Amino acid sequence: MFTPALIYIFILIVVIFSVTLVIAMYSTYAERKVAGFLQDRLGPNRAGPFGILQPVADGVKMFMKEEIIPDVSNKWLFILGPSVAMATCLMTSAVIPFGSGLTIGGTFYPMQVADVNIGILYVFGVVSIGVYGIMIGGWASNNKYSLLGALRASSQMISYEVAMGLSIIALVMMTGTLSVREIAAGQPGGHWNVLYQPLGFLIFIICAFAETNRAPFDLPECETELVGGYHTEYSSMKLGFYLFAEYINMFISAAVISTLYFGGYNMPFIGRFITDPNTLSLVGTAFLFGKIFFFIFFFMWVRWTIPRFRYDQLMNLGWKGLIPLAILNIFLTGLGMWFFGKVG
Amino acid sequence: MTLYLFYFLSFLAVLSALMVVVSKNPVHSVLYLIMTFFAIAGHYVLLNAQFLAAVHVIVYAGAIMVLFLYVIMMLNLNADTEPQKGKWLRVAATVAGGILMVVLVGALRSAADTLPVTAHDNQIGMIKNLGKVLYKDFMLPFEISSILFLVAMVGAVMLGKKEIK
Amino acid sequence: MTEFLFLLKHELILGLILVILLIMKIGSKSMTNSSLISLMNGLLFINFVAGWFLNREGVLFGGMFQNSSLLVFEKNVLSLGTWIICLQSSAWMKNHKHLPEFYMLMISTLMGMFFMLSSGNLLMFYIGLELSTIPLAAMCNFDLEKANSSEAAMKMIMSSAFSSGILLFGISLFYGMTGTFSLGGPSYNFDGSPLQVLAFIMIFSGFAFKLSVVPFHLWTADVYEGSPVAVTSYLSVISKGSMVFVFASVMYTAFRGIASVWYDGLVVLSLVTMIVGNLFALRQNNMKRFLAFSSIAQVGYILIGISGSSESGMASSIYFILIYIFSNLGAFGVISLISAHTGRESVDDYKGMYKTNPMLSWVLALSLFSLAGIPPTAGFFGKMFLLTAGAAKGNYFLITIAALNMIISLYYYLRIIRAVFMDKNENSLPSVQGDFGSRLALICCVVGILITGFAGGLYEYILSLSHGL
Repeated sequence: MFTPALIYIFILIVVIFSVTLVIAMYSTYAERKVAGFLQDRLGPNRAGPFGILQPVADGVKMFMKEEIIPDVSNKWLFILGPSVAMATCLMTSAVIPFGSGLTIGGTFYPMQVADVNIGILYVFGVVSIGVYGIMIGGWASNNKYSLLGALRASSQMISYEVAMGLSIIALVMMTGTLSVREIAAGQPGGHWNVLYQPLGFLIFIICAFAETNRAPFDLPECETELVGGYHTEYSSMKLGFYLFAEYINMFISAAVISTLYFGGYNMPFIGRFITDPNTLSLVGTAFLFGKIFFFIFFFMWVRWTIPRFRYDQLMNLGWKGLIPLAILNIFLTGLGMWFFGKVG
Repeated sequence: MTLYLFYFLSFLAVLSALMVVVSKNPVHSVLYLIMTFFAIAGHYVLLNAQFLAAVHVIVYAGAIMVLFLYVIMMLNLNADTEPQKGKWLRVAATVAGGILMVVLVGALRSAADTLPVTAHDNQIGMIKNLGKVLYKDFMLPFEISSILFLVAMVGAVMLGKKEIK
Repeated sequence: MTEFLFLLKHELILGLILVILLIMKIGSKSMTNSSLISLMNGLLFINFVAGWFLNREGVLFGGMFQNSSLLVFEKNVLSLGTWIICLQSSAWMKNHKHLPEFYMLMISTLMGMFFMLSSGNLLMFYIGLELSTIPLAAMCNFDLEKANSSEAAMKMIMSSAFSSGILLFGISLFYGMTGTFSLGGPSYNFDGSPLQVLAFIMIFSGFAFKLSVVPFHLWTADVYEGSPVAVTSYLSVISKGSMVFVFASVMYTAFRGIASVWYDGLVVLSLVTMIVGNLFALRQNNMKRFLAFSSIAQVGYILIGISGSSESGMASSIYFILIYIFSNLGAFGVISLISAHTGRESVDDYKGMYKTNPMLSWVLALSLFSLAGIPPTAGFFGKMFLLTAGAAKGNYFLITIAALNMIISLYYYLRIIRAVFMDKNENSLPSVQGDFGSRLALICCVVGILITGFAGGLYEYILSLSHGL
């Protein structure tokens, strides 16, 4: 039952979980530092050197705060909401290859929890379930602002899922596979998919912003209109779960973008300097994390630069802008494949 | 292992389907229905049809049921507004449903031994094979369903433009 | 390749019209309603005429799609009916804001019916069925400002979704039994084991919903009453007609093996349908509701014909549908004209109509006589052939009850005619002048009622097409 492979997978899961959580934790710190940098101020600098212990302090604060479950709310669903949000965002990383894999003692250990042959669809499935965390939470709060925030979030996520899916179709047409591992492996050196799919990438990243409810698409928690959005009634660690889920989602989106469009663990010219496959793999992992960190920074950069959309603008952009563009992209991709004779 | 998984998923599917009907609160019904869809997606995985499972989750659990929830939440339907049926109607429904079940079970029992056993290609659920079947053997229904979606969309948009006086 | 064009000709023409409509809707906003109506009337007429030429028989897509001269005839009948409906409802359509959408939905349902008729496969059949019902629900809601139009659409979509569910359950059982979707393929083995009978019952119930056979008829009257008249006539004539065509052919091909099983069911249902339809029609005071119940009763007679399970059963039901299209559209044409001009639809409003609208009164009377089956009109021959086909099985009890029902139905048809011709009414309908299109449509119906009755060769022609079933 407990074969080495299973134990390895177990260890891998634990490692990925802790890495995800730590990155999400320090994303909150990074967010405030980046905001400080962009707004020409210091940002957190009290807890520890350069404020490095700030996330820990925040975490302690979250845990110590009073836990309030509103009387009129639906208690089970009120608790289920943040749990679903957290669980789904942690599930996505299972199919992301964090490296090409290690060969130790003749056995190959892939740096990926599960190489599902429908990897991308798995990501989509989990993301689409993520909506429920917000909807259930917003409804169970029995508060009009929460409900409106939840409805906004769900309609926004559904609308942008369509464009996202369409932009991915063009990518899948090119790569001929749905497995994330094969897509990553299919971009050796500098042959990143973004070079062949610039439009698709643009659509994908805009949709990723909307899917993670990040600015400029953070309407579900638009303070000026909806108090706090779907988590108005939440306090303590349940609120923490929602906020945390957002940062984890950001990390996952960055990882997916890097893997699908920016070569994953591949880097140009690196094969000339390092020949040992194990070292190469570890260096590749480091590069992947470098790309991920860049995209996390990009998310924050955008947040503190671009103002929030109005709701009708959001819907217009999604349905009348991105979806036709994505369909055009599919058409162009098909045309290009036919022209270059890649159709089987 | 697979057999136990099958029993577990079937149990889950049937139980949550029952709860869909039994729950008084429409939101609970929808959530149970989502659970049913997950159980069915699990069945697809057991049949080695991961693509179907993923699409089932994305389309049904991820999109259609969200719209269900959306409507129910907007209308603020809950246990109080749910119309409750009279006692006799319930008795009649139980009797009718029970008789239907007896018929179903009887028909299935008699057929259990005579069902044709066909060779099952366990790779048919893989996306490449599925795509080939869909675009070769079932091309006409596939294309016509696109017309169906187009006109359904036309109808829905037209109704959405209704001006309420 | 050319084979493909010829075989799919009917569907391709409709597809072309659909594309034209889409482009027009997106491209030009200047098109007025009346020019669109004339254009569509022209296109539908071309569609009807073109349906008669360059037809081939054969199968396409590995048996998914089939075409035969019988199917071509059925499709042409439906095209004709659609054209007449479009002609006669122009008065209502002229002031509607979303006319291109209406045509789009209508054409797509017609296309769905064609695919359904030509399907050689249950999957194809199901998709054709959905294509012919889902847009219909949107069409029911076309009186946008009326609440009961929305109610009609809601009831329509609910009942059709429910019946589709039952039908799909039956189809899945069918697939489980035979291992194939195709209707009458080589590996086909339908011998009547209990599970197969169950599959049949489920599929049959799905059909019964769409045909509004009696235990499944409850949606009919409300939907007919709430919908705009054009849609009601489309529902009761074209939609029902196509279902009858498909029903008869599925019964005779796919379920031929268990004919002894379905014969009994069909007899019981036809009895109940006739009796309930007629008894309810007796006390209706809204013209549309009245015609709804009368059309339920007509389905009962059709079921008798189908129960004969022979070529004459098939031919007589097709012949009857052809007559029924003319008669019912004649009646609906008059109602639609009056409803569009005055908005009045109750039987009391029709009292003394002969004084103000003599021509319309005569058309209405002729149509109702034909529906009732009074000898000189075509309806008589239609019913006669149906009952003859049914009598082939020797079930004279059924035929006697059917004859009695025809007498009951005579009473309520004559009630309308009496109201129109003999009753006095100080607040009678104003004189209604139809435009060219609606007059042409009514002339077509009248000519149709007379020709189909007197042209003796027609039934033999249909019978000759039905050979080999």
